[in-house]
Amino acid sequence: MAEMGKFKCLRCGHEFEMKYTPGVPEERACPKCGSNSVRLQKEGPKK
Amino acid sequence: MMDVGRHPRIKLLTYSEVEDITGYIGNFHVKVRRKARYVNEDDCTACGDCEKVCPVTSVDEHQLGLAVRKAVYIPFAQSVPSSYLIDMKTCLGNNPIACGKCMDVCEKHCIDYDMQDEIVEFDVGAVVVATGMHVFDPTDLEEYGYGKFPNVLTSMEFEILTGPGYVSEGHLVRPSDLKVPKSIGFIQCVGSRDLKRGKPYCSNICCMNTVKDTLFLREHYPDIEAKVFYMDIRAFGKGFEDLYRRSKEIGVQYIRGIPGDIRQDPETNNLILTVENTTTGEVEEHEVECLVLSVGVTPRIDSDHIQKLLTMSTTGDGFYMEQHPKLKPIDSPTGGVFLAGCAEFPKDVKDSVTQASGAAARAETILSAGKIKIEAITCRIDEAACSSCVICSKVCPYGAIGADTKAKTPAEVVEAACKGCGTCAAECPFEAIAMRHFSDDQIDAMVDAYLAVSPTEKVIVFACNWCSYAGADLAGLSRLQYPASSRVIRTMCSGRVSEEFILRAFRRGAPVVLVSGCHFADCHYIDANRWAQKRVEKLWDKLEKLGIRPERLQLEWISAAEAQKWAKTMRDMEELRKTVTKKEIEHTVKVLNEEEEKRLRKKAKREKKPAAAIASK
Repeated sequence: MAEMGKFKCLRCGHEFEMKYTPGVPEERACPKCGSNSVRLQKEGPKK
Repeated sequence: MMDVGRHPRIKLLTYSEVEDITGYIGNFHVKVRRKARYVNEDDCTACGDCEKVCPVTSVDEHQLGLAVRKAVYIPFAQSVPSSYLIDMKTCLGNNPIACGKCMDVCEKHCIDYDMQDEIVEFDVGAVVVATGMHVFDPTDLEEYGYGKFPNVLTSMEFEILTGPGYVSEGHLVRPSDLKVPKSIGFIQCVGSRDLKRGKPYCSNICCMNTVKDTLFLREHYPDIEAKVFYMDIRAFGKGFEDLYRRSKEIGVQYIRGIPGDIRQDPETNNLILTVENTTTGEVEEHEVECLVLSVGVTPRIDSDHIQKLLTMSTTGDGFYMEQHPKLKPIDSPTGGVFLAGCAEFPKDVKDSVTQASGAAARAETILSAGKIKIEAITCRIDEAACSSCVICSKVCPYGAIGADTKAKTPAEVVEAACKGCGTCAAECPFEAIAMRHFSDDQIDAMVDAYLAVSPTEKVIVFACNWCSYAGADLAGLSRLQYPASSRVIRTMCSGRVSEEFILRAFRRGAPVVLVSGCHFADCHYIDANRWAQKRVEKLWDKLEKLGIRPERLQLEWISAAEAQKWAKTMRDMEELRKTVTKKEIEHTVKVLNEEEEKRLRKKAKREKKPAAAIASK
């Protein structure tokens, strides 16, 4: 199931949210610069 | 279809389902379930005596629920073979026998309640996938009232109501009162070209289907008023513009605008459409006695079954993907598998026949040759190093690698099926797979050579052969300017770029590494580039953990036509390179060398060899 995730562009540093399906590879692009070097930001360990 | 059924060299398996396909080009093994018809098709003369006495009626799915059929029936008038079958879900005759009337009246004794499904197996050299399509269900588009108002039909239902072999025997009637309607409206693009509530693509056939329907209507019912509500009419085929013009000339009204609201007159069951006519800019109301929704085409809902069996890929909209949109539009990426008709994309009869003829001819080239030329670039397994972990088998987009974990036998490559993407070699944790012409040693040597002198001034770019490298080529041909710092290493697929190649480049002092391949929908190796993305994402985490900026590893999908994107990416890489400090590079080299030593020690232990021997290799 698709869920919202926080992504960071490793080209321009832009941070944004978009839908993604965990475990399913998708072609992603930064909405600001168009780069495909988009990394899912993992949340820190839960306390 | 009759000709196919009678052809001495064509074996037609109707009422059957493909259960399994194994093998590869020239050597496919197919398993088909022939469903029990409960009527011996060879003896049945389709006399219809059984149907006359059958007491059971149920919805006729072949006539989209507009008619009923008996439990013993012929699916549709043109069925081949022309033989009855029994729907055992509704038949009263089997378990326990409560009826048996069809059996009593059948003079040829064709009825067999004990008939069982049969599994037939055979070998074929090539496969043509022509599994067709489904149509869009407009029930969810509430504004059209489909399913709510009886006189709102889909274009498929309209075909049933006007077809000679169907329920009304070609006499058009509207469902609410079974009278010939005096006016009919057609709404185009229902479920097509709609990003939010339908399919984003144009379904290709609906405009001309409506034009054809209007011509039919005016020819058979000259007094009928026909109105077509449209966004734009796409009459692009040979002779289509003439048909469209003829339709307008004989009085069919074309109104540019899609109705936003449809109401039903409770007394007459007529439909009142509210539409903004974008030609006049005015909101209009039109009353019609019957409304036809020109529904779009969708992929078959069960298309993933054949996709998995034949290791094919689909485009984002769910249709089977061809190997190349221009140069190999009939071939699927899997060798020996060809596509025809709407399984590949919505198309009309003419285009389907054209593609099917091409597919048959392409299949014949394999069958008549008797031999095939295989890729020179294939993978080779080092049986001694293979641990039968089957990772290679799992990642191979073509199912070309067989492995048996239980028997612990080394993986085996079917070279006829291997296309040489190299994903298996990149993923193998035991370095047991070598790619011919793109071996680890060859790529390592390129990395080392590029970074032997002034490594900090270079950007290492791994580019796939088909898209990114071709994009770079086009950039050069187009004389596009970009910094000279990039050093391109060509691999057949971005899936070939292993973690080790990237880390080696960083160990040799590269400030920035770029992995570049085809866009997801364009991958020439079905989905091998997905593995490149997974690997890069994994490496971003690893680099960060080691205190190395993940930004220094970049990923970009660049097609052969995107020379501008290539040049821009190279400019971006140069800007990024300038931000990488000498200290950063020194830290990277130190940390990654330590990691490499650990890896080599583990490898030496696994292979029971002295660490020095492994390192020197």
